[in-house]
Amino acid sequence: MSNSIRNGIRAGSTFAVIIIFLELIGFTVIGSTLIGKVLGNAPQSGAMPPVINLVIFLGLLGLWNGANAAKPDPRGQTFSQALTAGVAAGAFCGLWVAIYALIMGYIQSLGIDLRVYLSAISPESNALSLFGLPGTSAALAHLGLQTGMGALGALLALGLRSGLWRRTAGSGWASTRRGVSGVVAQVRRFPYAVYVMYGLLAIIMIAAPHAWGSYWNYITGTVGIYVIMGLGLNIITGLAGQLVLGYVAFFAIGAYSVALLTAPQPQNIRMDFWPALLIGIVLAGLTGVLLGLPILRLRGDYLAIVTLGFGEIIRIMLRSDLLTPLTAGPHGVRDIGQPALFGMSLSSDVNFLYLILLAMVLAIFITNRLQNSRTGRAWVAIREDEVAAKASGINVFQSKLLALAIGAAFAGLGGVLFASRNQFTGPEDHALMVSINVLALVIVGGMGSLPGIILGAFALKGLPEILRELENYRLMVFGALLVVMMILRPEGLWPASRPRLEKKDRSAPPVREEEPAPMDAEGVKNANHS
Amino acid sequence: MPITLETRQVTKMFGGLTAVDSVDLVIAEQSIASIIGPNGAGKTTLFNCISGFYKPEKGQVLFMGTPIQGLATDAIAHLGMSRTYQNIRLFSNMTAMENILVGQYPHLKNGWMDAILRHKRYNREETASIAEAKRLLDFVDLTNLGDNLARNLPYGAQRRLEIARALANKPKLLLLDEPTAGMNPQETDEMTTFIQNLRDQLGMTILLIEHDMRVVMGISQQITVLDYGVKIAEGTPKEIQSNPRVIEAYLGPGAAQLSERFRKQKRHLHENA
Repeated sequence: MSNSIRNGIRAGSTFAVIIIFLELIGFTVIGSTLIGKVLGNAPQSGAMPPVINLVIFLGLLGLWNGANAAKPDPRGQTFSQALTAGVAAGAFCGLWVAIYALIMGYIQSLGIDLRVYLSAISPESNALSLFGLPGTSAALAHLGLQTGMGALGALLALGLRSGLWRRTAGSGWASTRRGVSGVVAQVRRFPYAVYVMYGLLAIIMIAAPHAWGSYWNYITGTVGIYVIMGLGLNIITGLAGQLVLGYVAFFAIGAYSVALLTAPQPQNIRMDFWPALLIGIVLAGLTGVLLGLPILRLRGDYLAIVTLGFGEIIRIMLRSDLLTPLTAGPHGVRDIGQPALFGMSLSSDVNFLYLILLAMVLAIFITNRLQNSRTGRAWVAIREDEVAAKASGINVFQSKLLALAIGAAFAGLGGVLFASRNQFTGPEDHALMVSINVLALVIVGGMGSLPGIILGAFALKGLPEILRELENYRLMVFGALLVVMMILRPEGLWPASRPRLEKKDRSAPPVREEEPAPMDAEGVKNANHS
Repeated sequence: MPITLETRQVTKMFGGLTAVDSVDLVIAEQSIASIIGPNGAGKTTLFNCISGFYKPEKGQVLFMGTPIQGLATDAIAHLGMSRTYQNIRLFSNMTAMENILVGQYPHLKNGWMDAILRHKRYNREETASIAEAKRLLDFVDLTNLGDNLARNLPYGAQRRLEIARALANKPKLLLLDEPTAGMNPQETDEMTTFIQNLRDQLGMTILLIEHDMRVVMGISQQITVLDYGVKIAEGTPKEIQSNPRVIEAYLGPGAAQLSERFRKQKRHLHENA
């Protein structure tokens, strides 16, 4: 019994810290607003959401707290033990939050504006977090809410035999994936079905941009560009295993190529879009080769740091006074040329989305063909064991260089499309965050996995656009998502699978991948041999 | 008899330590030669000098008559030399088939442009290489295991797969670094027969490092003994077994006399009986 109380107090205190932290950064207001969207009582922008939303938000957290605290002991747990733990966790969490409310109420009664210190805490948001009550009553309300929800959560967890939900969700996702793959495999048996499938996909891609409206076209376009870049970085990092953190540099080179070649300022070359597109891709690829020549002999962390520096250097150079006459410096380049075909402009959002989707399909096509070819296998071999790859006759340096060049060319393509669509590009479009975004989507999707990249791009670029309120918290959500991913799906949303070459039509894998390796190949591999 | 591999005065130093000291080695075509020696004698270092992982400070390595010291590992692989490792080094997250396909790398011509275009020649080569990989799978007795990830295979299968990957290069010389390490007696016997078959059926020249004396004495035509980087003996299994310097290297000074006395006693007992 005392054990469950102790566990409950520990879990509850942790949760209290989380809740207070969320209060301090103003996330509770955002969360309540999001709940408002679901309930249909969302406030106008800037206004505070209704108190009931915050109660629901904190209540949900409280449920989670209780459920978490009552996580069953492997040795078995009685009803009362679980309930005790839940109540203890809720009460303790409530106690801390109540103390926070008391302090906040006191500060507010003194008339101090906390915005000077904590930008997220305005008198209105403070009043909201006190449920619109005076300090003491608010503290009691918090305590009551958390205790009740803790107890409820514990009961819920016991009912669901906690842990089950996670397994269920996990296997549900796995079976969905298997189902999709299975359908694809089944359809592939019939030669014409493939064409029908591609035809359907094409019809959707042609029809959807007309139906969506410009806002969604913009978002889909961004996702498409990130898919292209993700595929490029996937070749470098996912297949060839070279951690490159300055990927944005190639993106910038593509963007600035098209900008400087087609815009009236600062160069006034005014080239047509299509040759500029080609030049942008080739230049980015060449930069990849030039960058790779000196640095690809580095491994792992060293390579990551050097490329990280390269990405930043490009951005800083674009900002610098030195290059201002050439690149317009920090102001950026505007009026970038847009594509036209047979005298017809493709600059409308629908047409431009077609262009992006076409480029995306091309990128998917190329990656798909490369990854299971002799070249692609050489890349994966280098990722797996560089020494053995070399001894198998692979010219490791050339292969890595090729991977970097192709990956960079993809980024160049993305940059060209990005700059041309926005008709503007400046140094701040090419910040480190782009590299991190692309790397994160590759990791979240699943290194080396094609469907994973597409899924990852939707998850990391599409979702934040849909949840616009989270914009300011994108980094935090990234972090949280990555942590959750690493715990639940360490190999990504859609882990890479290797092709079946011996028996092509077998549906079930012969050995389950989860099975432990018969020997610790990793440890032995790195051991020095005399 | 033509000579496949020859080393002349090969010397490799790490700082002040001379790991391999002026080693001469001559290996005839279609023979099985072994390098033995106590731990730390420089056997694997010599292997690494031959296969191009290390560049020897002094001396020459001749492969089919051409000097190869200082060439890159991949260039040497292209000349027809393959090796396996003391600690298995497979591409663990690739399937067994893919491992063998990577092994065929020097013999395939398709580049990245071919892969994107997928013309007739590309498809022909890809089909042929997959068929060849299946044949090799059968050869090392891994039929039906080809679509498993290499890391999911049992230990013995991993060893055989590593050899299959080396064979995919159609090597003229195969370097095996402790092929029977960690195997039970039955597996060891199978591996010994397997190595002999490689020579007899495929006409390969094989150089191996091995600690199991039953294997070494059973299949080698020629044995080289290293100790502290120096070649201390060379000859047929019979010659090596009775060489006092070899016995001393393994068992310590004085062991040779002891062994000689033991042998005499044994003969004496035998005669009396």
